[in-house]
Amino acid sequence: MTHLSMDTLLSLREPGTEPGVAAAHEHLNECSLCQAELHRLHQRVARLKALPTLRPSRDRWPETAARFRAERLRRRTRRVGFAGLAVAASVALAVTVVDRPQPVETNPNQINQAMERSQALESALSEYNPEARVLDGRTARIAQELEDRIALLDRQLEMTELSPKQARDQELLQLWRERVGLLDALVDVHATRASNAGL
Amino acid sequence: MDSSLIADAETVVARARTGDPEALGALYKAFQVPVYNIARRICRTTEDAEDVLQETFFEVCRSIGRYREEGSLWGWIRTIAASKALMRIRRNKYRDTDELHDEVVGRRQEDSHLRMDLEAALERLSETSRAVVWLHDVEGYTHEEIATMMGKTPSFSKSQLARAHARLRQWLGEEVAA
Repeated sequence: MTHLSMDTLLSLREPGTEPGVAAAHEHLNECSLCQAELHRLHQRVARLKALPTLRPSRDRWPETAARFRAERLRRRTRRVGFAGLAVAASVALAVTVVDRPQPVETNPNQINQAMERSQALESALSEYNPEARVLDGRTARIAQELEDRIALLDRQLEMTELSPKQARDQELLQLWRERVGLLDALVDVHATRASNAGL
Repeated sequence: MDSSLIADAETVVARARTGDPEALGALYKAFQVPVYNIARRICRTTEDAEDVLQETFFEVCRSIGRYREEGSLWGWIRTIAASKALMRIRRNKYRDTDELHDEVVGRRQEDSHLRMDLEAALERLSETSRAVVWLHDVEGYTHEEIATMMGKTPSFSKSQLARAHARLRQWLGEEVAA
């Protein structure tokens, strides 16, 4: 007597009928060995489903979010164009000089505060819906430069977050503060533009 | 597993579509464990699985605007995760260890008495076989869906599943029909 192959036993579990399935059912009804084999197959699948859920050992969200932010800003920046960097660069330079902090003792709260401030500014920025607004040439150039610098910072943040903890905190704090400064300036650009347009 | 993992899923998705970082973070928190579980069950190492986790949510962030709510949110995310894991194993081109195992078993009498637990046996399958077993038997994908994700035919998926079960049966020390 030829018993059912693993292929055939598996096909018995599939919905629909394949050629030969009726004959296989006929054999199965009369063969206790194949019935036992099918039972083992069901048991094996049940045991697979009951395996414990595996969990990640660390949180990958900060890296993922930083990467997404950087990509989004790059996309947005590309859309605005690449003209007139000189005016924008001078604005961005002024912002950087004003906001880059002197070396200080870093504690995690300072980084958290800078991150929270950055998030609040992002929310404020999204309320202006900058991607959907038409900007005049000068405003667009300034916004573009600021967004370029934020994108660059995000890339640096992404890299710094991957470095050993002791070396990175001071650097992270500086980068986040610089990001807050640039976002502040970007919100100002859009707020001024909205105010001028009576929005 | 469905969108009930996340409270007020519709609102969160609507906010995530605007790029709201809090909403995107909420999606990550809600689905990171099941996504990692699929990735780890398919990929060989924890590092690969963690990379797949990141790749999956990067894609979720980029594509949430294209999610049309025709199926469940978890179903949509799960398909992204499975595709990313399959891409990873294609890229890695790991050595097919169960092919190696077959050669060894053929030569070693004592391996006929080999018994393993299910985790170890699953781990010992090739990545392709393990992916098919997991996606078909645990996640409930059809052979047609698996074939589409793998860029292969349904017959390939079926034969991988049959080979994998034959090996699992042997490695688990289950009795073989006479």
